[in-house]
Amino acid sequence: MEALILSESTQWIVNHGIPLQMLEILVMIPIIATLVSIARYLVGFKTFGIYASIILGISYSFTGLRYGLTLTILVILTTLLSHNILKKIRMHYITRIAINYCLLILVLIGFFILVNEFGLGLENIENINPLAIVSITALSDFFIKIYVKKSFKNTLRALLETLLVATFGWFIITRDNASTFLLNNLWLIALLVAINLSIGQFKGLRLFDSSRFKSIITKKDELPDQK
Amino acid sequence: MSYLIKNNTKDEILGLNRRNQEYIRPYNSRSAKSLADDKIWTKKILAKNGIQTPEVFKIIRSKQQLNHLDWSSLPKSFVIKPNKGTGGHGILVFYGKKKGLEEWIRPSGKTMTKKDLILHIENILEGRFSMGDRKDSAIIEARIQNDPLLKKYSYRGVPDIRIIVFNGVPVMAMLRFPTKRSDGKANLHAGAICTGIDIGTGITTYSMLGNYTSPISDTYILVDTTSDLEENLPLSGIQIPNWDDILEIAVKCQEASNLGYAGIDIALDAEKGPMVFELNARPGLGIQVANQAGLRRRLERVKGLKVKGIKHGIRLAKELFGGEIEDEIEAISGRQVVSIVEEIKVYHKDWSPNVKKKKKLFEVLKAYMDTGFQTSRIDKGLANRIGLDESLNSFYKLDAPSSFESFTEAQEFIEKNDSILSTDENIVRLAKLLEDGKIRVRPVLKVNIKISKEVKNVEMIVSTRQEMTYPVVLGREDLKGYLIDTTKTF
Repeated sequence: MEALILSESTQWIVNHGIPLQMLEILVMIPIIATLVSIARYLVGFKTFGIYASIILGISYSFTGLRYGLTLTILVILTTLLSHNILKKIRMHYITRIAINYCLLILVLIGFFILVNEFGLGLENIENINPLAIVSITALSDFFIKIYVKKSFKNTLRALLETLLVATFGWFIITRDNASTFLLNNLWLIALLVAINLSIGQFKGLRLFDSSRFKSIITKKDELPDQK
Repeated sequence: MSYLIKNNTKDEILGLNRRNQEYIRPYNSRSAKSLADDKIWTKKILAKNGIQTPEVFKIIRSKQQLNHLDWSSLPKSFVIKPNKGTGGHGILVFYGKKKGLEEWIRPSGKTMTKKDLILHIENILEGRFSMGDRKDSAIIEARIQNDPLLKKYSYRGVPDIRIIVFNGVPVMAMLRFPTKRSDGKANLHAGAICTGIDIGTGITTYSMLGNYTSPISDTYILVDTTSDLEENLPLSGIQIPNWDDILEIAVKCQEASNLGYAGIDIALDAEKGPMVFELNARPGLGIQVANQAGLRRRLERVKGLKVKGIKHGIRLAKELFGGEIEDEIEAISGRQVVSIVEEIKVYHKDWSPNVKKKKKLFEVLKAYMDTGFQTSRIDKGLANRIGLDESLNSFYKLDAPSSFESFTEAQEFIEKNDSILSTDENIVRLAKLLEDGKIRVRPVLKVNIKISKEVKNVEMIVSTRQEMTYPVVLGREDLKGYLIDTTKTF
């Protein structure tokens, strides 16, 4: 990485023992969290919550988007498969999840070997932070928790929404200009607080509410004249 | 068909943000919410207030209790529910038991063994169907005996009525019918048909289904009839029995639960009447589409009102939100609603719609709607007053006997005297009829009337009966295209 020219305050923080890379990641947490709140209250995304979105967004910045999404899809497919097979066997809930993880890890190991042998257009696993892989694998849990309670469609929707927010987060993290700007303007965190304060008071229709009730809403200019 | 969609501006619709911030948070306290989320506790509180809920056979709180459950003590049909479940998840209904076996029959016809049931209850205890991941209890309770009227519209399962009550006033209601898709469940998200209900009368209005093809957000399709029954029935215009009692129960539930803004789910048991299924602290918003009306507008009209008791709350609801039904039914079915006794205008013979005359050429009077008659009736005195006295006189000149021995004899008399039709323009035909147990012949006259803002030229049999409570009785012939509302009289 090129030597960054840091603002005084940021330089001061770095001088006090916080590595720049860690600071970069820490700053991303409130950014993605705010993205989730915008997506929830202005658009109507359900997502798997703030935690899953943060974890995925940051993991993707380690794995690269292509690798990250491929892993995500692999994790979800394996989870679906194992869940549907295990459904036929009577067993307790947690044991089912545990078996799911066993299968998941076997599939991942197989996948990494395939990548190593054939490339598949993906980077070798050696260069990737293992914690990022663990984080993506944990998505299985978020997915299954919703899946056993809600319909497949709703779960899939929440998953796609989570991936969308995470991808957006990844996009911001990986733009060097953006992250440098953030690092040098830490007061932006106060702005995020202000944004969330105002979203917190917002009572209007979410974008999805509007589309949900479109059929019963008459646009103002279509209303008959008031006599 | 085209719907007359009511005019709702964006501001009249309640969205999730406002529901949570303006209604749930300020009006539903934490303790009231945890009451509503706990079905066992809810049952206790409602019972104290004299409100019926399905009878509980067993409550299972731990594995130990499950191990010691006496399965033979259960009746043949029952329901297993998670105490803190949401959205109908984890509910199993059993219709019967296989003879001599420990196997129970589901609505779909499939059976489940005791082992299956134990596993299901274990899953409930582990909190699989509950909000969050908390441990839960399982309830085994009585199955509702479907009310025969509503049963006709449901694909297995039990339909229920959702009523939103706010500040002691029932503001909006819908009926939910299980469908094949919803697998006997009455939840919109499970695929049930939701039908709006006019608060004033308890008559159903618009119906809708979730549109599953829409990938992004929940959207709905309006439907007219049920879709997967042997005989599909129109969904609008159903009169829900004991509507006032149901509204009263809903308001009582809101009071008893301390929820300021509540969704009350009520099912009708064929024998025991209305039964409260559950209370909802966060009732969904789809009800607005089933009623084609915005919830926010209604809630704001009720906010801050001083409601003096249950009856007052119901009266307010009916005045504020009821009555919209008449126009709506007209829009749906092309029919108008008339009362059983309706005020009508009867015009004089000389009246004509295009000519203005100084003299008043009509009488306003009360007419009785009687679908037991084919042809409408008019009192002799009234016929005289509207200028048909000459026609009556020319009929009297025929000197018809006061009664005939048989209909054949009456028919012969009519055929012999049909020349009267060409001499008197107001007599359309002669009719034979049974009146006070006697066969008589009476003239049928053309009369102009105005009913429900519509002028019609109708045929009326002149009645000479002494006791006609109403000078005009409208029969089936002239009631085509109307719905008769028996709850209202002038």
